Amino acid sequence: MANNVASDSSGYSADNIKVLEGLEAVQKRPGMYIGDTSERGLHHLVFEVVDNSIDEALGGHCDRVDVTIHVENSVTVEDNGRGIPVDIHPTEGISAAEVVLTKLHAGGKFDKGAYRVSGGLHGVGVSVVNALSEYLEVEIKRDGKVYFQRFHRGKAQGRLRETGTTQQRGTKVTFKPDPLIFEVRDFSFDILSQRLRELAFLNQGVQITIQDERDRKHHEFIYRGGIVEFVEHLSRTKTPLHSVIYIEGERDGVEMQIALQWNEGYSESIFPFANNINTIEGGTHLVGLKSALTRTINVYATSANLVKRDDEALQGDDCREGLTAVIAVKIPEPQFEGQTKTKLGNSEVKGLVEALINEKLGAYFEEHPGDAKRIVQKGLEAARVREATRKAKELARRKGALDSGSLPGKLADCQERDPALSELFIVEGDSAGGSAKQGRDRRNQAILPLRGKILNVEKARFDKMLSSQEIRVLITAMGAGIGKDEQDLTKLRYHTIVIMTDADVDGSHIRTLLLTFFYRQYAELIDKGYLYIAQPPLFKVRKGKQERYLKDETALEDYLVELGTQDMRLESNGTSLTGIPLKGLVKRAIRFEKIMDVVERKKRQRHVVAAIAALQDGPQDWLRDRERVERVAETVHTYLQTAAPEQLPLSFACEDDVEHNTLRVTFLTRTNGGGTRTVIDMEFCLSPEFEELRRLAAELRAAGTAPFTLTAGERVSQAGSLREVVDEIVRDARKGLDIQRYKGLGEMNPEQLWETTMDPESRTLLQVRLADAYTADQIFSTLMGDEVEPRRKFIEMYALDVKNLDI
Amino acid sequence: MLAAVMFAPRCPICHEPIAWEGNPSRPFCSERCRLVDLGAWVSERYRVPGDPADGERGSDDDSDEGGSA
Repeated sequence: MANNVASDSSGYSADNIKVLEGLEAVQKRPGMYIGDTSERGLHHLVFEVVDNSIDEALGGHCDRVDVTIHVENSVTVEDNGRGIPVDIHPTEGISAAEVVLTKLHAGGKFDKGAYRVSGGLHGVGVSVVNALSEYLEVEIKRDGKVYFQRFHRGKAQGRLRETGTTQQRGTKVTFKPDPLIFEVRDFSFDILSQRLRELAFLNQGVQITIQDERDRKHHEFIYRGGIVEFVEHLSRTKTPLHSVIYIEGERDGVEMQIALQWNEGYSESIFPFANNINTIEGGTHLVGLKSALTRTINVYATSANLVKRDDEALQGDDCREGLTAVIAVKIPEPQFEGQTKTKLGNSEVKGLVEALINEKLGAYFEEHPGDAKRIVQKGLEAARVREATRKAKELARRKGALDSGSLPGKLADCQERDPALSELFIVEGDSAGGSAKQGRDRRNQAILPLRGKILNVEKARFDKMLSSQEIRVLITAMGAGIGKDEQDLTKLRYHTIVIMTDADVDGSHIRTLLLTFFYRQYAELIDKGYLYIAQPPLFKVRKGKQERYLKDETALEDYLVELGTQDMRLESNGTSLTGIPLKGLVKRAIRFEKIMDVVERKKRQRHVVAAIAALQDGPQDWLRDRERVERVAETVHTYLQTAAPEQLPLSFACEDDVEHNTLRVTFLTRTNGGGTRTVIDMEFCLSPEFEELRRLAAELRAAGTAPFTLTAGERVSQAGSLREVVDEIVRDARKGLDIQRYKGLGEMNPEQLWETTMDPESRTLLQVRLADAYTADQIFSTLMGDEVEPRRKFIEMYALDVKNLDI
Repeated sequence: MLAAVMFAPRCPICHEPIAWEGNPSRPFCSERCRLVDLGAWVSERYRVPGDPADGERGSDDDSDEGGSA
């Protein structure tokens, strides 16, 4: 073979064209040459011609290719390359152009000298197109002259002739696929357009246009950014983690270009090309790319201490999650393998690609540690997902083997088989589990004790969690499986599932964990209303021979108020209250004082705030006016004289609160020799707690003003404030009462547990609604979080609203 | 009543807002995130941190009921 490198038209002549074989077979067996005679083969014809133009572009001789689809489904491909040689071929005795068009496997690409690198889908050459066309016309502009030749079903109609002169150069081929051969005759604008766009990306700077004369559609592609722009185009709908990384290099005559970009998505899309061919079956270049990525990312992750242990090595799939990449190699003698000849076979390419990427990507990472870190973290996340998925699937599978017959040993099942009638109690702790087992109605109540696992993380900090064993046992006991494919609520063995935990911190942790687990993995079960929370009593109260269980502090308080107000009369300057109105008043007073406790905790003097909350006028009125502030101060002073004279003297100062266009008043009271500053401004006055205080204060006016007289039968006592009234009433109620506080379920004997918590006749079950479980999830997420501040704020937010928080 | 928390579900794993109705993976955005969560339960990665000094906040009033500890 000739070894000269063609660099201009003078080096590309008839000598370079070698004839290897005749044309005859093509028409007989078109499938052998172009795959098929339907859509794919039809479009293949266009690409074959376009590839010839692209070969010119690869050689640097051409920068424009125009494709036109004509009305009667013929196609023209025109380029501004050197033009096919027109001189007489030395052995064939006809023009080189005619040789190219009529002899199979003839063309510049079969001589390494003419094109150093050449594409061409199967390298069958444009003669195949000619053979399969009803007609084909070629117009060549070369060396100042224009030549023309026409063919009919591959046969020349006359020789190549000169038709005129020109300043331009290039080749223009127009052909109409033979309707006797092709089943499909209509060209698809989209198929052609997509491949031409691809070619434009791969051949940086070459302008490719496509025009459809049937409906005037038109596209023009030119990408100065080459495959970098290709990657940007491919991931245009994604959120990238960094700008496209571009690597190029040439080794042993193989040109390599690689563009890489990771995005926030999870899919991997790598487009490998070899000599412009979309090697959809992959091949050695793709293998090299993949192995280099895995290696380079792991090397960087280790050296930058981004992975902690050796066993955390990222696998190939992890490294490519969310990756969009294009690799394009150009090889002098490509070998294509596979079903559709779209797999690159040149074994040397793997090592070349690998070496290039290891070196260049490694250097890129060193220079762009921010990008590198994001990419490594993306891979670590993928690895974690992979591991979690594996474990989750393993769990789902293992459960499958367990679900019939072998129920967990810890479960004390019931006799009932109808889920609608069966109840499952998930009980915290072994001792409570024991009591529950003895106390239950074994006909339809099953007991599953769960302990939760305590983990000593740091000294004196004990984290609570559900062990994986417990999760498994729970899933198996419920019988409804887990995960998308396995979960089936029709198999659920109980339609009443009751979480029964202690009313202490540990209990609430376990409850939060369980609620979160149900919310996340069994949301449907909550939707259906199957999940409940048991309400074991917190107190047992005995009066004489009477026993009573009370569920919580509020219930105890209610009970005490009830008892204390039974025979009590409250009087003050003309008003007199007994019975239900008195009970209501006392409850409000208690609520008022509780909120005051919160106010005081936030460093405000409670009596000052109480006096202000009791004012008829709202703060938005008097906070605007200095004179009125003075009058308010006088009222506060008067209030303190009766309620808390030890807080006197009182002074105050005003400043402007520009944010609210009001005043900010600071009251200074005396406290144990020091002073307390109570700031009253709009921000405080608009807070929910102050608004509730005002509302309660208005209602408490029904009691009249201090001093108060309390009469219970013979006994008469005096109180200087409502607070003292409350204290007196509660004290009275507690007389002769034996109050036992349950620290845990385990303190109740089986009978008590049955009677108070499990007996359908007397128990209260709290049905878990979606909102409750959602809140548990929020609490859980907050508790789980690393940040201390939001956690603290969250807990404070709920501290006041204890009454409403019933999970 | 839990009026304090607005129901605006987000995927517990990736924190993207999710649709509730007609979402088979709820409360997750996808099956992928659900599996990640399940994997975390099984791997015992979910823990509720205990306080350094348990009960310091006064176990007699706030923490009993709150579930917030």
